Amino acid sequence: MKALSITLKDLQLLVKDRGSLFQYFLLPLLFVLIFSGGLSSIGSSTGDTRMALAVVNLDGGTGAQSLLAGIDAAGGVRTELYDQAEAESLLDENKLGRLLFIPADFSAGLSAGRPVTLRLVAHPDASAQETESVMLVLEGVANGMTLESQILASLRQMGDMQAGNPDAAQAFSTDRLVAQASNQFEQSRTRPLIVVKQTVPAQQGESEAMPDFGKAVLSGVTVLFVFLSAQTAARSIYEEKKVGSFRRLMAAPLSRPALLAGKILPNFLTALVQILVIFLFGSLGLRLIGATPVPFEDAPLAVTLVSIVMALCASALGIVIAAIARTENQIGGMGTLVLWGMGLLGGCIAPAFLLDRYLGPLPKIVPQYWANRAFDDLLLRGLGLQDVALELAILLGFAMLFFVIGLWRFDFE
Amino acid sequence: MPAILEVENLVKKYGDFEAVKGISFSVEQGEVFGLLGPNGAGKTQTISMLTGVITPTSGKARIGGFDLHTQMSKVKEINGLVPQDLALYPTLSARANLNFFGRIYGLRGRQLKERVDDVLHVVALTERADQVVDKYSGGMKRRVNIAAGLVHQPRLLFLDEPTVGVDPQSRNQIFESVQRLNRERGMSVVYTSHYMEEVELLCNRVAIIDQGKIIALDTIKNLIAMLGGGVIYIGLASVDENMLAQLAALPAVKAVELVPPPVSPPALEGSVQEKEGKTPTANPVIKIVAEHNQEAVLNVIEYLNQKNISLTSLDILQPNLESVFLHLTGKKLRE
Repeated sequence: MKALSITLKDLQLLVKDRGSLFQYFLLPLLFVLIFSGGLSSIGSSTGDTRMALAVVNLDGGTGAQSLLAGIDAAGGVRTELYDQAEAESLLDENKLGRLLFIPADFSAGLSAGRPVTLRLVAHPDASAQETESVMLVLEGVANGMTLESQILASLRQMGDMQAGNPDAAQAFSTDRLVAQASNQFEQSRTRPLIVVKQTVPAQQGESEAMPDFGKAVLSGVTVLFVFLSAQTAARSIYEEKKVGSFRRLMAAPLSRPALLAGKILPNFLTALVQILVIFLFGSLGLRLIGATPVPFEDAPLAVTLVSIVMALCASALGIVIAAIARTENQIGGMGTLVLWGMGLLGGCIAPAFLLDRYLGPLPKIVPQYWANRAFDDLLLRGLGLQDVALELAILLGFAMLFFVIGLWRFDFE
Repeated sequence: MPAILEVENLVKKYGDFEAVKGISFSVEQGEVFGLLGPNGAGKTQTISMLTGVITPTSGKARIGGFDLHTQMSKVKEINGLVPQDLALYPTLSARANLNFFGRIYGLRGRQLKERVDDVLHVVALTERADQVVDKYSGGMKRRVNIAAGLVHQPRLLFLDEPTVGVDPQSRNQIFESVQRLNRERGMSVVYTSHYMEEVELLCNRVAIIDQGKIIALDTIKNLIAMLGGGVIYIGLASVDENMLAQLAALPAVKAVELVPPPVSPPALEGSVQEKEGKTPTANPVIKIVAEHNQEAVLNVIEYLNQKNISLTSLDILQPNLESVFLHLTGKKLRE
């Protein structure tokens, strides 16, 4: 209860501190807006939020036209036609994530009932989730076209037989028609006319996927600012020591762990509220301004757990800073250099896959990296709680390590 | 009546530096006890050890019968600490500050409200209790600082230099509060200061502390009596052992000694020498402890005239704690 009194008091002080409130709640949202392009999307949004799919149409026949119309009508993906050379060049430069080739004999093959192959080429760094979505759309449209083509061909065949031999009318009983249709359904499944092949593996590891930038910014900013709050926690302890109230707390019948718990609990709670505010903005605010919302609702339990452990880790880091820094300038310096540096290294500002590429395993030494990875897995890759168990365990390990170092180095006197 | 505080050979070391060098003293129930010493003498360190803010390197203490080392939580419930710093949250009101300090001592609800109202009354701040502390004058902040140490009704109150930076009116109010708490509620007080006037006004007994050691401990009356009628510092053109012996034999003179350099001649606050900004001379200075100042001065000057010895400086100190401290350490309290 006494520790809670300290927490309550610190929250009272925080409410009166406009600077800290700005840093906790408004600054992250500004970062999200600026870096996710949310501001620009207000003016430039066309309303079409479907994923663009570059297409090189080497056929140009009616079958290819039907395929493109089918893809556009399926929802989620819109086709954009490119010249082959230009498209391949853009794909090489990773300016196009995926490229669909419609072969020259597509329409003719379809008409003749010959199997044809559509080739989807994906850049190695393209988002695996998005490539998978495109594949699903393509396979759906291709299956539909295969079925349509085969049934029509079958009906045409039966019509021709009927016209050539009027006496054989009884041969096409209801049972035969149903059996014929079933046969065509089965053929369309086992021997499809249109086969979609992904010629370059989309990914060999999750780190190679390039996430949606807007979503990545939101999780990156969240992680960055939650860990920046460690500086506020450290400053609160420093201020307490500077004005002498820490001596008063030390003289009160309060154990040292309870005193420290009382000091970091406000930061922990504030960090949780901070995460909630940023995520609500990511879910509702971005939707309101026409940007793509971040799907926090897909894995609420996992997102909540990662948030709690991350807030705990940041608060414990605050004790470490308070234990090491001797002056207000040192706290400020650590906030600026160490926390922003850790944030940069941990993929809060630059995408993690880029850091992996240039820095190797180095980013893994900071907790921000693991928090970002957990959020990326949950929010961008659509993974679940079991998939972020490692990240959660490592973050918890960091939190415990920070507590131990903080308690060991903290100068109560 | 048993002592509320018993300290035995308390030591605080920081590496090789010994901040408190084995001090021992006791404070009786209902007593106002003074710790008088210059800045850096070890007063705050002593208080910090006794209130649990820092851990003693060695030594023992019992407060209210509880052992400082093994029963610290009980000790902390008995103690009240008013630190030298304004240990308050400036953006909160006085009442919010006091509510917080009451809560960390376990006070809740009606009891907390009554205690807060009571201490606000004690420090005469009831009318402005809901004002933000940052808007208070220095003296008012000091009074809230004291109230925060009182809110849980301690039996032993440690006041660490409570009047630093305070205007005369607030200083008087603080004195009155301390006297009233002691007189009306029987609260025992340990009062540290480097202002001898405050200690003389408030305290029954005083420990004079310097460089981490208690160099004298007694009632103020007895401490001053050490000096008899006062102390005279005389600068002379020349001094020899024979002259010192003859001076010591003069009527009204208790003792004579040559003041060793570099402390000679000491210019006391308010003395002619200090006011005129004179720098110390290289001439020898003798210190005469007198039974009666005036008579001793007349006898010494008569002797010097007879011997035709030139006088280069003369300082006559009235007997008080300041001169006791100077007598014991060769330093001024506020050096």
